[in-house]
Amino acid sequence: MREILRDLVRRPQNGEYLEIRLEHIVTTSIRIHNTTVERLKVTEERGGSLRILHPKTGWWFVSFQGWDSLKEHVASGLRSVALLPQSRTGVIRGEGTEEEIRFSPREDFREKPLGEKVQLLFAYARMLREASPFVVSAVVEYRDEWRTVYFANSDGSVIFWEKPDISLSFVATARKGDQIEVYRDGVAGKAGFELVRGLEELAHRVGKQAEALLFARPFPGGVYDVILDPVLAGVFIHEAFGHLSEADFLSRNERLQKLMVLGKPIASPVLSVFDDGSLEDLRGSSPYDDEGTRTQRTYLIRKGYLSGRLHSRETAFLLGESPTGNARTISYRFPPIVRMTNTGIEPGTVPPEDLFADIERGVYAVEYVGGNTALELFTFSPAYGYLIEGGKVGEMVKDIVLSGNLFQTLGKIDAVANDFRWTEVGWCGKGEQMGLPTPTGSPHVRLREVLVGGQCHA
Amino acid sequence: MREVVSIARARGLQADLFVRRVWEKSIEYEAGVFRGYVAREHTGCGLRVIRPDKRLGFYAFTPPCAPSEAVEQALEVSAFGDVVDFTIPSYPSTTEWRDFVDPRLEELSVREMVEVGEHLVGQLKTTHPEVLTNVRIVAGREERELFNHHEEEIRFARTFFDISVEATRVKDDDILTVYVERSWGNRDLDVDDLLKEVELKLDLSERVVPIQSGQYPVLFTPSGCMVLLHPLLYGLSGRNIAFGKSPLQDKFGKVLFSSLFSLVEVPQEPWALGSCPFDDEGILTPEERVLVESGKVEDGFWDLWSAARTGRRTTASGFRRSPWDMPEPGFSVLKIKNGLRDRETLVEELEEGLVVDSLLGLGQSNIASGFFSCGVQLGFYVKGGEIQGRVKNVMISGNAYEALKNIKELSRDCRWVQGSILAPYMLVEPIQVNAAS
Repeated sequence: MREILRDLVRRPQNGEYLEIRLEHIVTTSIRIHNTTVERLKVTEERGGSLRILHPKTGWWFVSFQGWDSLKEHVASGLRSVALLPQSRTGVIRGEGTEEEIRFSPREDFREKPLGEKVQLLFAYARMLREASPFVVSAVVEYRDEWRTVYFANSDGSVIFWEKPDISLSFVATARKGDQIEVYRDGVAGKAGFELVRGLEELAHRVGKQAEALLFARPFPGGVYDVILDPVLAGVFIHEAFGHLSEADFLSRNERLQKLMVLGKPIASPVLSVFDDGSLEDLRGSSPYDDEGTRTQRTYLIRKGYLSGRLHSRETAFLLGESPTGNARTISYRFPPIVRMTNTGIEPGTVPPEDLFADIERGVYAVEYVGGNTALELFTFSPAYGYLIEGGKVGEMVKDIVLSGNLFQTLGKIDAVANDFRWTEVGWCGKGEQMGLPTPTGSPHVRLREVLVGGQCHA
Repeated sequence: MREVVSIARARGLQADLFVRRVWEKSIEYEAGVFRGYVAREHTGCGLRVIRPDKRLGFYAFTPPCAPSEAVEQALEVSAFGDVVDFTIPSYPSTTEWRDFVDPRLEELSVREMVEVGEHLVGQLKTTHPEVLTNVRIVAGREERELFNHHEEEIRFARTFFDISVEATRVKDDDILTVYVERSWGNRDLDVDDLLKEVELKLDLSERVVPIQSGQYPVLFTPSGCMVLLHPLLYGLSGRNIAFGKSPLQDKFGKVLFSSLFSLVEVPQEPWALGSCPFDDEGILTPEERVLVESGKVEDGFWDLWSAARTGRRTTASGFRRSPWDMPEPGFSVLKIKNGLRDRETLVEELEEGLVVDSLLGLGQSNIASGFFSCGVQLGFYVKGGEIQGRVKNVMISGNAYEALKNIKELSRDCRWVQGSILAPYMLVEPIQVNAAS
């Protein structure tokens, strides 16, 4: 295969940039719902894509099934790309590299019999159910994926990858009359089957938390001081700032470029934010991105100042900057676009306990349900929270959705604790590409005057 | 493909094989500049088997795959599969339905797509020079085929056409994005109507106006209505009912919502996206099916599995998100019944309130209980019957089931949302609005 790829990427004669991606994906998904196997499937996919940029026209992208038709696609692609309308774009070219990136998990999930996987999940489902009499629905969802990728481009790169991914999540639905509460938690990683063993305590906790939500009070809407736990703070920085640092938002928008000019103070001085795809073995990590660019650590904010952004080869070309290894795709069906990898808030020096002291009335927001962003506006929701009154953490509260504005909220972070940790279960959707693993990391963070939705306090 | 189910039959299994073939082509403009062309062609197959002891197996694959291997894989899975109470159905022998295939879309050239793109970009550049426009135009064709162990097969095809425009305006530190889309099964998408909507939204958004926190009447636009519809669709799903996760499980036949609210499914609506002669389990769809009639909950969505579980009959609602997924209860095409007066009149009669067009954070709240709390991505403040301007940094919240009780009026004019839900403007009072300042 490597020889064929080496030959094909040498075909462009008119300065075209050409990229080939071939994938073989085998997944096993199992969903246990109470006492039944609600879903159990094994799927296998083999497909590829070809992307060509002509120096005078635009991008030509085609994705196809099977690997056999690759040569024909390259030949017809090179003919067709020349006929596209004129565009104004380009890419920063790189150094070619040949590499083989293999992964040896401790316990290879491909070798585990299906029966062993199912039995383990059944045991978890029972624990989830038995955690509380209020749990009406206990779901244990397992997925493993072994992806092998051949990548080649006209810079002369030929890379072979093995990309395993495994995840397990627990979802408990608790019910009291018409009141229904859902709580979920889980694990995910670039790992082997060992990751999903020994999670009995987590299963029990998920059932208990769903029950607890039934008895928690809805949090009244208004403007509050908020403490984010490390999990939610990671989601916050992903939504509040991460997306706006993806350079495709502004690579052709001069006004936005002025608004987001590097060196501009954008946040309070306690805040530093980075994205790092080169870290070892997090779900967003990889030595190269999906355009064959080496991944790196990029500081997006340093001590409150805008200090960098995330690039593909194309956005780097358009802005006259350097690629940062952030072009990612969810599969061969889609072209790579600018995405975050592993994004985090750098830890500060304060112990997390100290953050609560001077909050008169606020909320301690914990874990997450989700987040969403539309350029400057964003929302994000904790799974639950606790009232803070007179500096003390009080009763559990729920139904909390926080909202903010990039240009206001980042300036209102006034304390960053020292207890940094990564959360791996997060994923991100952008455009039509959903479900890309994007771990986030953070310590506890304090935010002043955040808008919280919900009924106003009487 | 037929061979796969024949082998399954020979092994004494019930089986169905779902095959979905899609090709699509699209072009993209970024900030008014042509960016590129994308073509995709994919086939996915999902094989479902039921053993004589009623255990279910599933294996999905992309061709080519040896038929006997597919059956072996599905059988291996079935050793641990759910014990199911339904059987793979027989398909009708006469095929009276028509495909919704528009040859003009099948033959649509890149040049024609570029013409549409240039028109949209050019017009907006003239009327709103300060705005940067992204455009995406997609045309394609989809075929669905089903084969079963009775050696029957059915198939249908449809085309689709989708145009979306995202217009961004940056003024000082205010970033506005207006997103408008139109999707349909044939070439007759009204591009100028789409353009008009983008321009109107841009014009109405010119001024940012403050709003005080409090309770207001809210006029949801057709796309804004989705925040209220999603929890309802969750509650009507046979799967959620079967697992005791729906607040509607014992509410069928009861009046829960405003008498103004009626919802029907129209699976065979010509050219609507989602229209189909049969669902993804091969069950023929009815022409029309009432889900909510004048506030009374009449019916939900049942696939074979959830129908068997709850002692009901399938409502031809078994749909697959992809060939790699098993069927789940879903909808084909929906219509919310409209009212008598135009949306303009509804706005004119609003003393003070909010028009909500798009929201941020749908699905981030507890959809099971109906609770919602969302950032308003695009919304307008109305005072004295006139739109004063756009609101910013504002959230709305409430409970969708309560809100559907509190519908005050529905507009006469409707619009298709994502080509598959026809919705009017919906006036709901009161809705909690929280503002940052």
